[in-house]
Amino acid sequence: MQTQVQKATEPEQNSVVEQKVQKLRELYADAPELGRAALERGLPNLKRELAAATGMQNAGRIGARQGKVSELTGIIPFAKGGAKRLRGLLQALEGNFRGGDAVGTLHDMRFVFLDNDTKLLFATAYDGEWDAYIDDFVTKIPDAMDLLFCNIEGWPGIHSPSVKDFIAGHQIAAEAWYVANPNLTVVETRRLEQIGKAADEFLDKVA
Amino acid sequence: MLSVNESAGAKLATEAPTLEFQEIQATVLRVRPAPYFGTHVLLRIDNAQAGRDFLRRVTPHVDSAAGWWAAANAWLAIGISYAGLEALGLREDSLRSFPEAFRLGMAARAQHLGDEGVNHPKNWDLPFGKGQIHIGVSVFSDSEEKRRRTLNLAREQYDASSGVSVLAMQDFGAQPGDLNPLGYKDGIDQPTIEGSGVESPPGYGRPIKAGEFILGYPGEAGIPLPMPHPDILGRNGTYVGLRKYQSRVGAFNRFLRANANTEEERELLAAKLVGRWRSGAPLTLAPVVDDPTLGADAKRNNNFDYSDDPRGRGAPFGCHMRRMNPRDTQLSRLTDVNLHRVIRRGTTYGPPYDPNAMSEEADEVPRGAYFLFISAKAMATIEFLQQEWINDGNFIGIGDERDPIVGLQEQGATFTIPREPVRRRVHGIETFNVLRGGEYFFMPSLSALRWIGELG
Ligand code: HEM
Repeated sequence: MQTQVQKATEPEQNSVVEQKVQKLRELYADAPELGRAALERGLPNLKRELAAATGMQNAGRIGARQGKVSELTGIIPFAKGGAKRLRGLLQALEGNFRGGDAVGTLHDMRFVFLDNDTKLLFATAYDGEWDAYIDDFVTKIPDAMDLLFCNIEGWPGIHSPSVKDFIAGHQIAAEAWYVANPNLTVVETRRLEQIGKAADEFLDKVA
Repeated sequence: MLSVNESAGAKLATEAPTLEFQEIQATVLRVRPAPYFGTHVLLRIDNAQAGRDFLRRVTPHVDSAAGWWAAANAWLAIGISYAGLEALGLREDSLRSFPEAFRLGMAARAQHLGDEGVNHPKNWDLPFGKGQIHIGVSVFSDSEEKRRRTLNLAREQYDASSGVSVLAMQDFGAQPGDLNPLGYKDGIDQPTIEGSGVESPPGYGRPIKAGEFILGYPGEAGIPLPMPHPDILGRNGTYVGLRKYQSRVGAFNRFLRANANTEEERELLAAKLVGRWRSGAPLTLAPVVDDPTLGADAKRNNNFDYSDDPRGRGAPFGCHMRRMNPRDTQLSRLTDVNLHRVIRRGTTYGPPYDPNAMSEEADEVPRGAYFLFISAKAMATIEFLQQEWINDGNFIGIGDERDPIVGLQEQGATFTIPREPVRRRVHGIETFNVLRGGEYFFMPSLSALRWIGELG
């Protein structure tokens, strides 16, 4: 930590940070009084974050990536009756997504119903690229995909050659996104969990 | 003459073949002879008329796949790059109907292929990566004499067409024992293609739908892949990817010596990297000592899956062969292993592998492979392989490790060998095969070759 701060205070870095601070002061000039005060009080901490290099990259065609983890966010109108069907399906599943386990790259999935059940907010964090594996979804889990997504307007079907464009067309890139462990894939996390358990058992035995 | 029966213990299928063999170029289905002798010729078309003239002359000499399992033992194959199709004067709507990665060419897709650092196109040998390669002509044969005769046949055709220039020629094959540049028997496993008239030999897995390898037939998802227009241009054609590798034989030998003390240990380590002993014997069938008789026996040397080796104690998860075709390995990511197969036509060039070459100079002796792979979606498949199965290990649960044979290695790269009671992690893995060139070619059907020749 110490060395990072050290690095961040080299002269040229310094002026970049000062420029960013200047920019923020301008942006916050018309903010409520408590926002302006917070900016000034928080400056020492903020400067440290401003000096750190960005970890954001692009994920495939659209979306953000931190290390090995990518995000996909979309807001898509429901098909007629889609909200009711999808809610029913999700309730019946009771949050049990075994299919998701099998995919092996999904950190999370979020289904949020917006604007009086007219639109779906779908958000997920996943490892690597999704479009490299789209053909695998087509032959391995076509029904799971169509069952979920036939409820949104215009879903061309997982077998359609236009499905990649459809998904990318509805994606909204996140402006910012935080990942605590950007280098841990789902697979790697499972592996470390197992190693941790094995190590504990071993230590229990020798202790 | 090498028939399929001899090469892999295959039997003619009882079901009638369903492919239009007389339309498909021979190389797609014919097995590379053993021993093999050949030449790749890379051509540039300087004017469209001359290019089409050449195609009209050469097409009658291009063999079809008719009766491929018992066919002649010297043949010509023709591939045309996107720049070549442009140079031949294809109409705009036809040109636009090719997939984007093909239109851009392999060099421009470097980022998608992970071809960075030493593998970056800016480090490639000429004439690669400059958009100048328009046509690739390959001669395959089972003797030096027939190679020369067949090559002369091709040469007469391009010499007669002023406006077609030779950019490069590369002889290949003629290796003692047909070993590849790192000293392994190669070209053993190939996917079996449904409707090709031959039954899957034991161990080769179920036949793959023809549409994965030849345009115009249903693929694994039940529908044909998108084809270039018009129909006569696309149908029965396919794509060929070429990647030229320089084998750093000195670095490979130095690595083996640094990590193994005796010749036996070195051979075992070399086997662990690939999944087969240099003799071709698979580690799953011969886990402890080499079995050269097994390696040489086409009926047995590919008759295995990984069900008896679920922990990688025989063939490590990270070895080249298990990555490139995981067969029934339990993968960490949802994957359909039958979607990522390619027909391989690897061709070795340069002096044979020398187990005693240790110097850095030996790394730069021109020696390696023109690795050719055929698929109806060759561009998407090689990008998938490069990203997921070669330059990553996540799919098979080994983190960041990369393919020890064809991966682009970072500083401090390792290779994990599962063992009882604890795994062994070998350090000092380097980029042993450096990419020095590459291009995508469309391999048209014989009707399409004639059609292009008659354009304009
Ligand atoms: C100079 C570079 C290469 C060397 C030295 C090499 C070496 C080998 C060897 C020794 C085998 C085992 C023999 C066999 O099963 O036929 C093999 C198999 C294979 N290689 Fe390579 N290879 C190279 C490049 C590549 C590349 C670039 C790819 C793909 C992108 C590839 C894909 C495969 C596949 C698919 C198999 C068959 C695995 C199976 O079906 O079990 N190889 N290679």
